[in-house]
Amino acid sequence: MTITITVVTIALLALLSLLWLAKGHASGSAVRENPARHLRSVDVEAFRNLIDPAEEDYLRRRLTPADFRKIQRERLRATAEYVSGAAHNAAILMSLADDARRSTDPATAGAAEKLIANAIQLRLYALQLVPRLYLEMVVPGARASSIGIAERYESITRQVVMLGIQYPAAGVSAAL
Amino acid sequence: MFLWRMLWYYLWVAPHVLLGAVLFLMVRRRLRRQFPMFFLYTIFEILQFGVLFGMGLAHLKLLSPYFHAYVVGLALSTAIRFGIIHELLRHFFWRYPTLDGPGRVLFRGAVLVLLLLAIGLSVVAPGKSANFLLNATYALDRTASVLQLGLLICLFYFSRYFVLSWRSPTFGIALGFGILAGVELATSAIWLHLGAFGNRLVNLFSMASYHCCVLTWICYLWAPEAEPPSSSTGLPENDLVTWNDEFRRLLPQ
Repeated sequence: MTITITVVTIALLALLSLLWLAKGHASGSAVRENPARHLRSVDVEAFRNLIDPAEEDYLRRRLTPADFRKIQRERLRATAEYVSGAAHNAAILMSLADDARRSTDPATAGAAEKLIANAIQLRLYALQLVPRLYLEMVVPGARASSIGIAERYESITRQVVMLGIQYPAAGVSAAL
Repeated sequence: MFLWRMLWYYLWVAPHVLLGAVLFLMVRRRLRRQFPMFFLYTIFEILQFGVLFGMGLAHLKLLSPYFHAYVVGLALSTAIRFGIIHELLRHFFWRYPTLDGPGRVLFRGAVLVLLLLAIGLSVVAPGKSANFLLNATYALDRTASVLQLGLLICLFYFSRYFVLSWRSPTFGIALGFGILAGVELATSAIWLHLGAFGNRLVNLFSMASYHCCVLTWICYLWAPEAEPPSSSTGLPENDLVTWNDEFRRLLPQ
């Protein structure tokens, strides 16, 4: 009896979550109307500084191990926030480009298509990187075994730079 | 009693009559070739209804031929529904080729996890009936519902995370099947617990939900697609080109 009640409850919760996700699909128009309002500020220079290995080495040399771990956790948290912000902004740019993709002008549609593909790449990187950053916060030694993270940092940084490109027509650049 | 009976027949007949409207809309809007599995499902459900309704009128409902026909229909219908989910995924991957590789990996992982979950559930909560076929039918129905509901939630979450746009019919079909899978998961768990073929109240709830699903499909198949914006709206071409050049330059080779 308990298992049946559990399964029925899970089914109803799953159904509600499905309806919630479906509802989210219809609420994208507010973002399209005023994208600048929904963009998060991403300080690219600060982000670069956070992921600079030289900066990390410097801190490691200057601080006691306990202080370094504390500072490093804060740095990783900030990095995760920057990456999430960049991914969030990429999503907004994607929804704008999605409108342009259906344009009757083939050149605009083609350019929007490519932009969407690249923004998807950025969100894929963010999807992989953010959990790793949080893991590193919990297990500081994890960094040694994940050599590729630094390269990923660099990729995301370079992609974040892209998000700062001027887009006066939609008022996006000021918010980025 | 009369009203109850009328409601029962209405909920049994009406969704299948409305499925005829779904067929009509699919043919009229030329969606038959884009969604062949959904088209097949619609035809199959109408035919299955014809057979079962005929047997029901002939008072064969309590006899084994009706139950066997129901089991065979359920098995085939479930198989077609998996085909429809695959069809929906294929639509997304076709529209967004960048997601083809990672998307397939994610969904294979989801299938594996959901399958383990469903098998675990079958081990923990087997059926109570002495009838092997009844137990096997409801257990498989529950397993299939876990997989279908899980996959459709993954699909909605996936499209939300990657901000993928849905075409109106795709969204409607996915939403309808999501509701159907959720209700079937709950009802199959109850049937398995009761260990009997059908339960009046549960059946009524299941039939009413199916009616809602068919109405959802009709609404979304009927709804016109959003007009593509003219060149003067959306992103100016120059900005798009600049953005993309930057993306290409900055993405790792």
